[in-house]
Parts: sequence; C-alpha cells; structure tokens
Amino acid sequence: MFLAWNEMKNNKLRFSLIVGVLTLVSYLVFFLSGLANGLENLNKEAVVKWDADGIILTEESDINLPQSSMNPDEYDGNGASEYATLGQFNAIATSGEQKSPVAIFGISEDEFIMPDVTEGRAFKYTGEVVADDSLREEGFQIGDELKLSSVDETLTISGFTEDARFNASPVLYGSFETLQKVRFGDSAENRDYKVNGFVVRTGNLDEIEVADSLQVVPTQTFIEGMPGYSEQSLTLSFMIYFLFIISAVILAIFLYVLTIQKISIFGVMKAQGVSSGYLAKSVVAQTFLLALAGTIIGFVLTIATGYFLPAAVPVAFNYMDMLIYGAVLVFVSVLGALFSIQTIVKIDPLEAIGG
Amino acid sequence: MALLQLINVNKVFKSGQTEIEALKTTSFAAEGGELIAIIGPSGSGKSTFLTIAGGLQSPSNGEVLINGQDITHLKEKQRASIRLQEIGFVLQSSNLVPFLNVQQQLQLLDKVKKNNMEAEKLKELYDSLGIADLMGSFPSDLSGGQRQRVAIAKALYTNPSIILADEPTASLDSDRAFEVMEMLKKAATNNGKTVIVVTHDTRLIQYCDKVYKITDGQLKQEVSNAMESSSFSNH
Repeated sequence: MFLAWNEMKNNKLRFSLIVGVLTLVSYLVFFLSGLANGLENLNKEAVVKWDADGIILTEESDINLPQSSMNPDEYDGNGASEYATLGQFNAIATSGEQKSPVAIFGISEDEFIMPDVTEGRAFKYTGEVVADDSLREEGFQIGDELKLSSVDETLTISGFTEDARFNASPVLYGSFETLQKVRFGDSAENRDYKVNGFVVRTGNLDEIEVADSLQVVPTQTFIEGMPGYSEQSLTLSFMIYFLFIISAVILAIFLYVLTIQKISIFGVMKAQGVSSGYLAKSVVAQTFLLALAGTIIGFVLTIATGYFLPAAVPVAFNYMDMLIYGAVLVFVSVLGALFSIQTIVKIDPLEAIGG
Repeated sequence: MALLQLINVNKVFKSGQTEIEALKTTSFAAEGGELIAIIGPSGSGKSTFLTIAGGLQSPSNGEVLINGQDITHLKEKQRASIRLQEIGFVLQSSNLVPFLNVQQQLQLLDKVKKNNMEAEKLKELYDSLGIADLMGSFPSDLSGGQRQRVAIAKALYTNPSIILADEPTASLDSDRAFEVMEMLKKAATNNGKTVIVVTHDTRLIQYCDKVYKITDGQLKQEVSNAMESSSFSNH
C-alpha cells in the first residue's frame, strides 16, 4: 500500500487519467442499471404493487393479460389465502390537449389489489377512476374528464396513486361496472361480466387447483412474459456485462503499460531483495484504489445526473443493484491487474541492473 | 570466518553452439572489515562476479557461501530473502525509486524487512553522508553525487554484512568519488562489514585493503605498486 499510494501521489496526472476512464465506465454501468431498472418498473410496477404470488390466466392466453378472458366464477379461491378478480382493458385517454395510453383495471374496492390513494379519493361511482401519478406529471388533474379512444364513454379522475404502470401505460383503477362500460359502451348492460385473471396470494402456488382451461402463473413468470420485457432487460444486462469486461481490459492495459515502464525500478527493488509478492500486492492495492475511486466518483455523478433528468427518461436507481455492480466493477478491475503480476514475477533483477 | 566465500566458481553462458566462460574457475574469500576492489575493463567479467557474489545469479559450478550459508542451490525466492538480510547493493545507475522521496526510500525498506538501523545510528549515517537536509527531496531533484550518497545510505540501512558496489563513483567528480570511497571504507572498518567495489577507476585503489584484477574472466589478486603505496600510507 505504501508503494502504491506514494506512486499515485507523485504521478497524479497519470493516475487521474485512469480514474477518469474508470469513472466514465462506472458512470455508464450505473446509468444503464438505472435505465434497466426504470424500464422494468415501467412494465411491472402495477404488478409488483399487488404483492401477489401468482395470477390465474386462461391456457390459451399465452400469459398475456389482455388475451385472457374468463367468467368471474371460474375460480373459487381454493388453495389461496387471498384472491382478487381483475379485469383489464387498454385504451388511449384524452383530456383537452393531454393524451396518454392507459391500462384500465377493473377491480373491487375491497380487494387487496386496491391501490392506496395518495391524493384525492377512491373511485365511488361508475366512471370514476384512481390514476397513476405519472399522469399527473403529464398534466392531468383530479376532476379531469378523460375521453377514451374506442368508446363513447368518459372517465373522471377521482384520485391518484403511486407507482402504478402496467406495460409502460399508466393504470386507471375503477370498478367492474366502470370497466364494463368502457368495454362495451351502450351495450354493457346486455353483456356478461368477464374478468381477465385472478390475482392470488398463497403460501404454495401448487396447491391451487384450476380447471384445465386455466393456468396458474407465478408473478415473476407473468412479468417476464410481458411483451418486450425480457428482450429489454436482457439487452441492457448484456451491455452492463460487456462494460465489466471492458473495464477489466482497460485497466489491464493501463497497468500493463505502467508495469512495463517500471520494469527497471522493480528489477532494482528485486535485486535488493524486495519480494515479487510485495510488488504484486502493491500493484493490486493500486488497482483496488483506482477502481474504488473511479466507481465512487461514477456513483456520485450518476446520482447527481438523476436529479436533473426529465421525468420522461425512465431511470430508477436501485441502490442494492448499484452496490453489487460497483463491487463487481472493482473486482474485475483487480482481475485485470493479475495480468501485470505475471510480468512482475518474470522480471529478472539481473537484467534490470544491467548485469 | 569469511563473510563471503566463493569456492571453485565459474560461469558459462551458452550462445547458440558456442560457450562463453564469462568467469573462469576461481576461489575468493572476503573477511569482515575489508574493503576490496575488483578492477578490470568492461566485458572482463566483473559484473558477472559481482552478481554471483550477490546472489543475483547462480554459478555454473562451485559454491557461494554468504555468512557461512551456502546459497548456490537456493531458489530465487530464498536468495531474494538472503539479499535483503545480508547484502547491500550500491549500483552504477542509482537504485532509487523515482516516486519516493529520500525518507520514503528508507521507509520502503522498513516495510519489507525488520531490524533495520536504529534511529540514532541512522541520524549519524545521514550526517556523515550529508543527506540529512535532503529527506523530502525526490531523486529527480538530487545531483548525481547526492543520489549516490542516498543509495549508499539505502545499502547500509538494512545492516547488511556485505556491501557490493558496482561502479559507485561512475557519475562523480574526483572529490565526490573520494568522499564516497571514504564512506565505504568507514563502513568496513567501523562496522566490520565486507565491502566489495567493482570499478575500472584505478584512483580508488588507494582506499582498498585488497585489489583483484579480472581479465577475460580470470580473477587474480594484484600486488601492484598502488597496493603497496596504499599499504605504506597506512603505516
């Protein structure tokens, strides 16, 4: 550490450049992880909000909520500690100049999937909905009348709730009557009620027995089955993994060049009896410090940038993820240093002193 | 007992089909308190001799004993440890670490070896070498002579029993060169160390107790005029 630290202190420019590169790499890693996380949230927020263990859909729906349709009495709650019926319908909501795709959830107010209302009040009458607060950020307000794209009905926002987006669309929570009206317009009264799925909480999903035409889907599988979800998160994960490799290689190259430059110094030290182990430890310590500094600066920069980003950028930082990514980054950087260690071990003190 | 002993040592280098005997079979012994010069033209094998004596390379045949311990067949790791404990090198090009100041050069040795020079003795050493004021300076700020004196301090700091100096006065003017030799002489006589100086500078011979000459890999003790005159001057 002594050698490592003093060398860095006396070659500030050289080592600042390395820290600079590592900072940029870690900045990108953290930002991508935030983006991956944010995009995932965009898709799954409303599902996570249920805090449920699984969902019952029809076999033929291919784990796609809008494509699943069944009668409200097709599941009786066996094997579940709690269950909730869910109807869902996608539409475009318009209020004056504001326009937004929405996912309308038909639920019962006494079900566990009923969201906490953070502003305004819960829906009470047919046509009232509680909206995700991303709509508020877009300019929608309580009392706004929402015209829908496909039917001649209007909805009224009675309140807002937090973190409720489904498949990137803000969710509007309303009663089943509301959903029925939105779905079928004037003919609603003549139609049977249909639901899209049953959300269940249970200790063991296997205990739930359903008809052959239905399937019990664990929440995680349901989320991963959302259109585009896996593709998105895999792409971003790949980018992050590649950045790990890139940072390891960059650091390996830098340190290798620095080590080559120091061969004669190391050689002289080895001639004096300083062990290869001590020199190797010094290089590893140096790498660790450099990687740690770069990662911390990158982290701070990422958080700082997060404050200035417009709401439209779906970045959400998960500090636990970032901690893990940061640790991995430092770890692979140190791996990169191992490359230089074999060079140090091979240095012949005899050559270094010109014997 | 001899601090350094080479018994029937030679060194052969192979270069393709031809073999070059850089050091012909030779025996050598040095006692504590002796300052020994090894002179010879470049390419004569004096560096080979010094590096074998210093445990930097093994001889092709024969045995090397340092402080009674046979180091001939030790692994590099063990030889490194012997070098650290027993040998101080003063190299031709200064052996200082460029990014450490003078004080840190010595601190580094504390990191890798225990039982180095005590603070009191160290201060004495600084004063005698005239480097007490240079503690915060980096090698690049020092003159050639100052660097060489710091290198000597470094070599003495670990309390080695043998000091091997390769052209320690190469970059110095005469006055400085004599100063350096006097310091090495003092280290030998006052502290009972063996000091071996490899040089082609015959002016330095007057300081030495014994002079060896090496030509074409053949080491021979010299009883020259210079030697005698130095003996005379001692009496």
